[in-house]
Amino acid sequence: MTAEPFLRMDGVSKRYPGVVVLHEASLEAYRGEAMALMGANGAGKSTLMNVLGGLATKESGAIFIDGQPVSLRSPREAAANGVAFVHQELSLLPTMTVAENVHADEFPVRGGLLAPEIMRRRTTELLARLGSKLPTDIRVENLSAGDRQIVEIARALRRRPRVVIFDEPTSSLTAWEKTRLFEVIAGLKRDRAAIIYITHFIDEIFATCERVTVMRNGRTVASAATDTVTSRDVVHLMLGETDNIVRLGKTPAGDAADDGGDVVLQVKDLSRANVLKNVDLTLRTGEIVGLWGLLGSGRTELLRALIGLDAIDQGELCWSRNGELLSITPRELRRFVGFVTEDRRGDGLFLPLSVETNIALPSLPALTNWLRLIVGKKLARLVHGMMERLRIKGSGPKQPVGTLSGGNQQKVVLARWLATNPRLLFLDEPTRGLDVSAKTEILKLAVEFALAGGTILIVSSALEDLMRVSDRYLVISRGSIVAKLPGATTADELKHAVSDDSSRSEFRP
Amino acid sequence: MIRTWTLLRMNGLLKSHPSAVPLPDAALDGRGGDVGAPSLSRIVDARLIASALVFSLVLGLLAAFAPSFFRLNNLVNILVQTSTLAILAIGMSFVMIGGGIDLSMPANMAMSAVLGALYMRVGHDPVTGSAIMIVSGATIGALNGVAVAYLRMIPFVVTLATMTVAKGACIWLTNSVSIAGLPESFGDVLLARPLGIPVAVLATIALTLLASTALSFTVIGRWLYAIGVNERAARVARVPIERVTAMSYVAAGLSAGVTAVLLAARLDSASANMGNDGVVLDIVSACVVGGISIYGGIGRAYGAVLGALFITIVSNGLNLMGVSFYLSLIVKGIVIIGYVALDGLSGKAP
Repeated sequence: MTAEPFLRMDGVSKRYPGVVVLHEASLEAYRGEAMALMGANGAGKSTLMNVLGGLATKESGAIFIDGQPVSLRSPREAAANGVAFVHQELSLLPTMTVAENVHADEFPVRGGLLAPEIMRRRTTELLARLGSKLPTDIRVENLSAGDRQIVEIARALRRRPRVVIFDEPTSSLTAWEKTRLFEVIAGLKRDRAAIIYITHFIDEIFATCERVTVMRNGRTVASAATDTVTSRDVVHLMLGETDNIVRLGKTPAGDAADDGGDVVLQVKDLSRANVLKNVDLTLRTGEIVGLWGLLGSGRTELLRALIGLDAIDQGELCWSRNGELLSITPRELRRFVGFVTEDRRGDGLFLPLSVETNIALPSLPALTNWLRLIVGKKLARLVHGMMERLRIKGSGPKQPVGTLSGGNQQKVVLARWLATNPRLLFLDEPTRGLDVSAKTEILKLAVEFALAGGTILIVSSALEDLMRVSDRYLVISRGSIVAKLPGATTADELKHAVSDDSSRSEFRP
Repeated sequence: MIRTWTLLRMNGLLKSHPSAVPLPDAALDGRGGDVGAPSLSRIVDARLIASALVFSLVLGLLAAFAPSFFRLNNLVNILVQTSTLAILAIGMSFVMIGGGIDLSMPANMAMSAVLGALYMRVGHDPVTGSAIMIVSGATIGALNGVAVAYLRMIPFVVTLATMTVAKGACIWLTNSVSIAGLPESFGDVLLARPLGIPVAVLATIALTLLASTALSFTVIGRWLYAIGVNERAARVARVPIERVTAMSYVAAGLSAGVTAVLLAARLDSASANMGNDGVVLDIVSACVVGGISIYGGIGRAYGAVLGALFITIVSNGLNLMGVSFYLSLIVKGIVIIGYVALDGLSGKAP
C-alpha cells in the first residue's frame, strides 16, 4: 500500500450565492484502490467531484495529484491531469455511434478530415479492455443502459486517466451489468488507477471499495478502510446525530400494525420496470406514514407512480369511496390526492404567477358561477382563508410566488392542496431547504391535517423531520417495501433498516 | 492500512456543529433567489419604454413627412385594417400563452372564407355562409389542437403542415380565381358604420373583451397560463393539459373564421391569397410587441390588439411616407427582432 495518497483534496470550499456548499472538504485516494464517497442528499459530494472534474471552481483549498499541486479549472484541464469523470449515464449523444461518442471531445483527424478507421480501431481496443465486444458503428440510442455505461467508461479511459470518478454508476443497471461493471473497476485497480465511487447503495461499497469517505453538510466527516466499518456506521455518519426528537402530535403506537382506522388507499403488487418491484401498502385515515429510504431507493418514484405521473407496468389500486374500496387507476387517483413535490421550483410552483393563482389552480372549477366564470369573491375568500390558516406572509395574494421565501413558498403548495379538501396527501421532502422554524410550521400543519382525519404519506431525507410526525414507517429499498416498522422505532433502528440490505451477499464473495 | 475511523481535520468543526446546518432554499435549487420582481419589472419597463419611443418616433415622422396620416378618414381606415390583424392576434395569443404557436391561421382564414363564399355564391344566404366560415375555422383549429395536445406533435411542424394543406385545398378549390359575387346583404351589414364606427372595429372591441374575460375569468384561461409557465407543475396541479391546450387552438381557429367573415365582406370576395405568407409574421409580431411572451405563460389579449395597431401604423405610415414596401419589411423585421430580444431577456427564456 502506498503511504502517500495519490490524490489529495485539501480544505476545499465553495459557495453559491448566499450559501456555503463545501466547507473545507477534504479527500484522499490511493492508487490501485477504489474509494467510496458517501453522503445524503445535498451533502456536497457531487459539488466536490465537480471541482475535481473541472466542472465547478473552488474558492479555496488545494488539490494535489501525485504530490504535485494541480489547477483544474475546466474539464479539459482535469483531463490533462489524468482525471476522468464517468457521469451518471446520458452525457452521451444518442444519435451518434459508439465510436463517435467515445471520441466526441477530440475526433481523430487526418489531413483535416475525420479519420473514422482510427476512431473505430481505438474504440475497439478500448472496449476490449473493458471486456466488451460492442459494435463501434451502432448508434448509442439503440444500446441498453449497461452498454451505454460501458461507452461512457470507454470515453473516460481513452486518455489513460490516473483518477476515475464514477457517479452513481449502477443506478439503472441489471444485476449482470453490475457484475461486469465491478469487473471493469477491478481491472482499473490492477492498472493502478485511483477510483472514486459515488453511490447510494451501501452494499456496493463493501463489494468494490477499499476505502470510504463520508460527507455531510458540505464537510468531510470521516474516512476509513471499508473492512474496519459496518454499513450501520456509514449510515450513521451520513445522517448525523438524531437526538432530541420532539414529536409533534400524538405519541406513536408500539406496533407496526396498519389496522387502525378505515382504509383509504390499498395498493397491491405495484411494479414499474427497473424502478418499483411488487409494492404493497395500505394507508388508513388519520395516520401519517413515513416512507423511509435513502436517495435512489424509489421513494419519489413510488409517489409519482401512485398518482399516474409515471406509468406503471402492473398493480392494483383501491380507493375508498363511501366506505367501499373500489378499484381506481393512478390517473383517476390524482384527482383525489394532493402531492407536494420534492422539487418545489421545478414542478411544484408557477413562479411568475401570483400566490392566488398558485393556491387556487386545482380548486378553480368549484369557484365558478352559472356562466362558468370565476367569481372573484369566492376566489378571494378561498385564498384569503388559506393564507390566514397557513400564516403565509407576503405583500398579498397578487404577489408573484417566486418572490416569497422558501418557507412561504412551501406553504403555498400546501395551501393549494389543503384547499381541495383532500383525504390523502403525499409530501415529498416537504422540509427541504427550509429554516428550522419553517420546518416546524410545515410539520405542524401536516399533523393538524392528520388529526382532522386526513392521511399523509411522507418522504424525507431528514430523519429527524420524519420521526417528528410519522405514526409508522414503510422502509423502501431498491424499489421494494422491505420492512414495516412501528412509530416507536428508534432512529438507530431506522438507520439500521436502510443499511441492512439483504442483497449484499450478491456482491460479496 | 488505516484501522480506525479518522476524522479528517474536521474534528473540531464537527463538534462545534453537531446538528444539520439548514441550507437556504437557493442552495438546493441550484439557483439563487433570482426570480425577484425588480429585475422582471425592469425588463417590462424597458419594453414599455421601447414601445413608447418607437411609437412616438413613428408618429413624429408621420407628422413631419405625411400629415395626411392624421386625417380622420385615414385613421378610421387604419382601425379597419387593424381589425383583421387584431382578431387574428387575439386568437394567436391563446395559443402563445399556452406555449405553442399556430402558423396556419392565415391559411385557415383563407380556406374558411373560400368555403363560405362558395356556399354563398349558390345558396345566397349570408348567415349560413358566415356560419360556415366560422365553423370551418374552428374545425381546422381543432385538428391542430388534437394533433398537438393529444398526439403530442410539435406545434410548429403540425401547423406548418396544416397551413400547406389549407393553402393547397384553397387554390385547388378556386383555381386561384377569386370568388366574387357575394350576396349584397353580406357586405351591407358588415360594412355598416353604426355611429360612424365600422362593424369590424366594433367586432374587434367585442372580441377583445370576450378574450380578456376568457383568459382572466374562466378556469380554462387560468389553466392555460399555468401550462405556459410550467407544464410539469401544471400536470401535478391536476390541470387537464390536453383539453386546455386543444382549446387554445380551437380559439385560434375561431378567430381565423371570424376574420374570414369580416375580410371577405370588406373585399367583397374570397380568394386563396387572402392569407399570404407575410401575415403569419405580422400576427406573431403583433403578439410579441403586445407583450405576449413567445415562451408562453405571459400576456393579455388587449396587448395583442395594441400590438396589431402598432404593426399596422408602422406599415401604413411607412407606406404614406413613400418608403418602399421592401424597406418597410426590413424595418418591421428589425423591430420584431428587438422585441423578441427583450422577451428573451425577461428571464422566461430557457
